[in-house]
Amino acid sequence: METILKKERLSEWVAQIGARATVFAPAFADGIWNFCAVAADTKVEFDHGNTVRPAKGFVFPQREVLYRFRQESGKAPELMETLPAAAPTVVFGVRPCDGRAMVRNDKVFTCGFNDPYYQARRDQVVFVGLACSEPPSQNCFCLSVGGSPHSEDGLDVLMTELDGRYHVKAITAKGREIVEGAAALLDKAQAADGKAAAKAHADADKHPQRALATMEKVAAGLKEHFDSPKWDELARACIGCGACTYLCPSCHCFDINDEITSNVPLTGERVRTWDNCQFPDFTMHSSGHNPRHDTGARLRQRVSHKLLYFVENHNIQQCTGCGRCISHCPVGIDIVRVATEVSGQ
Amino acid sequence: MVAIEDIRSRAKELLEGGMVRAVLGFRRSSAGLLAEPTFVVASEDVASLVWDATCVHNLALYLVNEKKRQKAERTPDTRPLAIIAKGCDSRAINVLLQENHVAREEVVILGVSCEGGGVVDTRKLADALRGKEAASAVCDDTGKVKVATASGEVTFPAADVLADRCLECTIAYPSVSDTMFGEKVDERGFTARFAAVKSIAAMSEQERSAFWDGHFERCIRCYACRAVCPMCYCDECVVDSTSFIVSPMTTAEEKANRIRWIQRSTTPADNAMYHMVRAMHLAGRCIDCAECERVCPVNIPLRLLNTSLEQEALEMFEYTPGMDPAQPSLISSFRDDDPNDFIR
Repeated sequence: METILKKERLSEWVAQIGARATVFAPAFADGIWNFCAVAADTKVEFDHGNTVRPAKGFVFPQREVLYRFRQESGKAPELMETLPAAAPTVVFGVRPCDGRAMVRNDKVFTCGFNDPYYQARRDQVVFVGLACSEPPSQNCFCLSVGGSPHSEDGLDVLMTELDGRYHVKAITAKGREIVEGAAALLDKAQAADGKAAAKAHADADKHPQRALATMEKVAAGLKEHFDSPKWDELARACIGCGACTYLCPSCHCFDINDEITSNVPLTGERVRTWDNCQFPDFTMHSSGHNPRHDTGARLRQRVSHKLLYFVENHNIQQCTGCGRCISHCPVGIDIVRVATEVSGQ
Repeated sequence: MVAIEDIRSRAKELLEGGMVRAVLGFRRSSAGLLAEPTFVVASEDVASLVWDATCVHNLALYLVNEKKRQKAERTPDTRPLAIIAKGCDSRAINVLLQENHVAREEVVILGVSCEGGGVVDTRKLADALRGKEAASAVCDDTGKVKVATASGEVTFPAADVLADRCLECTIAYPSVSDTMFGEKVDERGFTARFAAVKSIAAMSEQERSAFWDGHFERCIRCYACRAVCPMCYCDECVVDSTSFIVSPMTTAEEKANRIRWIQRSTTPADNAMYHMVRAMHLAGRCIDCAECERVCPVNIPLRLLNTSLEQEALEMFEYTPGMDPAQPSLISSFRDDDPNDFIR
């Protein structure tokens, strides 16, 4: 379903959706672009590159309460369910790399085992994508990992900027619902509009990006060079922070802790929080032994998970080429260069 | 501006003579404008070393990291590490020497004076360039920064694009070095020391609290600020789960009841606690390299926190960290005339 929205009516559409759902859109605050809740009567314009934090937090928040517990002395513990009562949420301005990352997150959280916390949020969120007319970052490489600046994967709606208007394409049932609900604002796209969108997409593909060899070549190269001394060499400057994975749209590792609020009676919450393979304690055994004992081993894990293990398990790369881990690395560690140098491709 | 050829030739001598195991310096990065840290081990690779206003990192950090790395090696190369150090970086080395974390003979310091310049702040640069990307940034002797972009060269005044710490820096040359490059320049004339932190001091307690709550709220606890800090060298940190030693005898109850000063959850209280703990541990030790602020992906103005403590150390105890490895540390020394009117 393809429609046209005049640029000046974007805020109206957002406001209309805002009447029955929480709406988020990229906003520039404190020096960074992030998805922020849109207050009523706020003018929404798309002027962002990519947000610093990816869209994954809408379905996999950094902190999720799994359940609450309470135990009186000498009695059996009581468990209280805390499934998120997720409110309908519509997120605007999602870049296609973040949309594609959602497909990867779905594989982890909903295929084989259905994570009810993830699913409850996923069911309630609508991702309205915005095609990139030019790469938002100098470290973009979506084309090299099977994506594109206008990929529809994982998005419910894809908007493409045309001259003075947006081409709005509903992709999923959830997407059709918000597009059909705004029939007064959105005009049916004409054949010429479809052609203009296709041309905008083709033009976007022509912008040069960072480049990585094919999925098969990189995966085979990483597998072959698992023991390469290059890992240590490339990771020697790694400082062991977690910026790369916390900002990654598809990193999904988590830790589970009990947060005690009272000892007598024993009460508290079992909480799931993001975890990070770049932290030393991620693989620390209770014996004190750490199988991934240095930055080389941890860099290998991160890069191989994205470009080798996920390929072996799901036949797609986990990395969607947003470039955040490169741009935000304090010391310039660059997944494109690392994968290229180690795999020999 | 120090000529890179001078640094390269000294690096080459050190490597050819086998006097150091590596020269730690800066090279161009594939990730963007800023140079990146590099360990040069082969003398023919000294050509990759660069020196300009994009060499922002405080490489003293790697004295700490390399120490940990060497501990794990069966036959570590015990020759010293040569390290390129700006004025601020050299003060960090001095603190590490003062705290006996590294020994003087373990490091060969190639000190480089920033003279009349400094290093760029990429956030200021992004604002100044309004979306255009910089390909290079070079500082001249008066602090003006020449920036090359795809559409030509632009020159900015220092205040527009240099890091705040450089604008406020009063000792822009190494306090300790084996070889020093460049001249000691005392008159820099940008802004007064502690200029940025004055805005915080002018706030009421409530305003200040709201200011920091707002910033800490968006912290994702990636710990980049901690990881990049040369003074954050503890083997165990209060925020890590490894700070609880588990043995085969540790009972489930003990594990469940271990004290967690700071939870893993990114709640406003836990985030604030983390940043406060870090700031307190840096009082009298932070030498204002401002790396914590630079690496923060969500732009928390961490430098303000540390400089306010630096200012207190100076005003109350006339203490400036990193000037001399033989100076007693702020925390472990006292004088009879130290102010004590805060004890009630």
